[in-house]
Amino acid sequence: MIKVKNLTKRYGQHLALDNISFTVEEGEVLGFLGPNGAGKSTTMNIMTGYIASTEGEVHIGGIDIVAEPEKAKAQIGYLPETPPLYGDMRVDEYLNFVASIKKVKSSERKQMVAYVKEAVHIEDMSKRLIKNLSKGYRQRVGMAQAMLGNPKVIIMDEPTVGLDPKQIIEMREVFRKLGKKHTLILSSHIMQEVSAVCDRVMIINKGHIMASDTPERLAAGLAQGHKMLVRVKGDKDKILSALADYSIIKEVKAIASRELGTIDFELSGDENIDIREAIFSCMSANSMPLLMMKSLDLSLEEIFLQITGQEQVAEPQTEELQATQTTGEEQVS
Amino acid sequence: MTAIIMKELRTYFTQMTGYIFLALTVLLTGIFFVAMNVIFRSPHFHQVLNSTTILFFVMVPALTMRLFADEVKNKTDQLLYTSPLAVWQIVLGKYLAAGLLFLMAMVVTMIFPLIISNFGELPVSQIVGAYVGYILIGLMLIAIGVFISVMTENQIIAAVSTFGIIFVMFILDALAGGMPADATSSLIFIGILILIVAGIFYHSTKNIFAAGIFAIVSAGIAIALFFANNLMFDGIIGRSFRWLSIFSRFDTLTMGILNLADIVFYISFALVFIYLTVNVIEKRRWR
Repeated sequence: MIKVKNLTKRYGQHLALDNISFTVEEGEVLGFLGPNGAGKSTTMNIMTGYIASTEGEVHIGGIDIVAEPEKAKAQIGYLPETPPLYGDMRVDEYLNFVASIKKVKSSERKQMVAYVKEAVHIEDMSKRLIKNLSKGYRQRVGMAQAMLGNPKVIIMDEPTVGLDPKQIIEMREVFRKLGKKHTLILSSHIMQEVSAVCDRVMIINKGHIMASDTPERLAAGLAQGHKMLVRVKGDKDKILSALADYSIIKEVKAIASRELGTIDFELSGDENIDIREAIFSCMSANSMPLLMMKSLDLSLEEIFLQITGQEQVAEPQTEELQATQTTGEEQVS
Repeated sequence: MTAIIMKELRTYFTQMTGYIFLALTVLLTGIFFVAMNVIFRSPHFHQVLNSTTILFFVMVPALTMRLFADEVKNKTDQLLYTSPLAVWQIVLGKYLAAGLLFLMAMVVTMIFPLIISNFGELPVSQIVGAYVGYILIGLMLIAIGVFISVMTENQIIAAVSTFGIIFVMFILDALAGGMPADATSSLIFIGILILIVAGIFYHSTKNIFAAGIFAIVSAGIAIALFFANNLMFDGIIGRSFRWLSIFSRFDTLTMGILNLADIVFYISFALVFIYLTVNVIEKRRWR
């Protein structure tokens, strides 16, 4: 549906996009993920024909956005980072205006406006002036605008920024519905945001595509072994000897005692082997109460940080890890 | 395009600009009407139109300053430029909206000659000529204003620059008399013109070779002509200023003479500026 080939964008000396290529299949829900200034908005602005690329091509449904802009743009609904709203229009007026510039036939206009209003739940706001709407509602009017004309592709740049948690969850529902009918591209700098709704996540940083895969596989591919953090009530030596009987647990590190009479351990097994059951049966066989068990595998958030290489965040983490290694002298294999 | 026209007209009348524009045009024309026609019992309404050309200084910037500056400020330009509308449709839509509002004001001022016709005989041909000229000048200046509006994101800068350019056009005729008429200054003047055109050429095509070749070739022709036929260069500055002066052409029209050359001049001037506006937007997005 969308083909992006060797896209490069320079702003003067600054290289915003460096030769990126990707394709989006029909009906796919793709998430652009990246820190601020990574090139997400630039990519979207080029794909929608708002700005031109320095080099490279964009094809929407086989139509070159530069050669036949009107035809290509007719297939796209776009919600930019700032919703493009006219404050002195009422919601209905605005949506009718957008429908007319998107060349929706006047006979279908009324029905289509009603449909998009229902989809993002702004029916009650129809007669309100846009400048008096709250941030969340403005964002929704922006989304409604992108859906007008029933475009094959809908592109939304950070659609959930500034919404409250309840609205974010509502919006996810809207995205899921949209994803069933349209090819949908979303961008965000929040991992859960995209992993919750997208079939595929593309991590962009400094104008490069760093990774592109399903959220699950991104997580699996980058998980380092299978590590659990457990808190057990009991005597340290007894626990260590009990754990020694289970060969599936390869490594045991005593970390610290954070609660009276308990000890925290970091347990790891071989990669891709689930050690949770072993931990449970070990503790229950020795009647040592297991008070907490938590995965230490990388969360998507951490993967994101790792890939985009934000050292200032990553460094203290590794230091902490080294610190626990030096204090955990009692290593049992 | 109709959608853009309707939207712009709506905005004029929700932001009060439209009402203020109509009211002020009618009020000021009315004052001149009283001062020149009623008091002196003169049917020569075309003289009123001739005097009220000073209204353009304020009216044109008021009409055009927000057309593009506002869109950029509100980021709504992203909506327009990513919609299936071509850039020329957007520009023409905005231009026609401003033009229509101006025409509305013109229609209202036609009350005054109607009043005169009730009490005496109207010099019809002169008044028709004056109206044609007035409307053409207005439409041309609006095109210039639209062009300036697209050059800046700031409404105030747009308004002041539009005012400045209209002012220069207004005094062009007076300036023409004071310009040096000898051949050498004419040659220098042509040299500057060539540089400006080459600069615009380079700015819009980004092709330094083509612009350079254009500058060298036309400078060569100018110098060759200068040595071949020196007389031709006499008073070129004054002549070109007079040619450019939109208001001296207006005087001919108020005499009731509909000169095709003048009408073509105004219309083509407006078209050039609309074309330039489209071009600037396209080029900016290619950068």
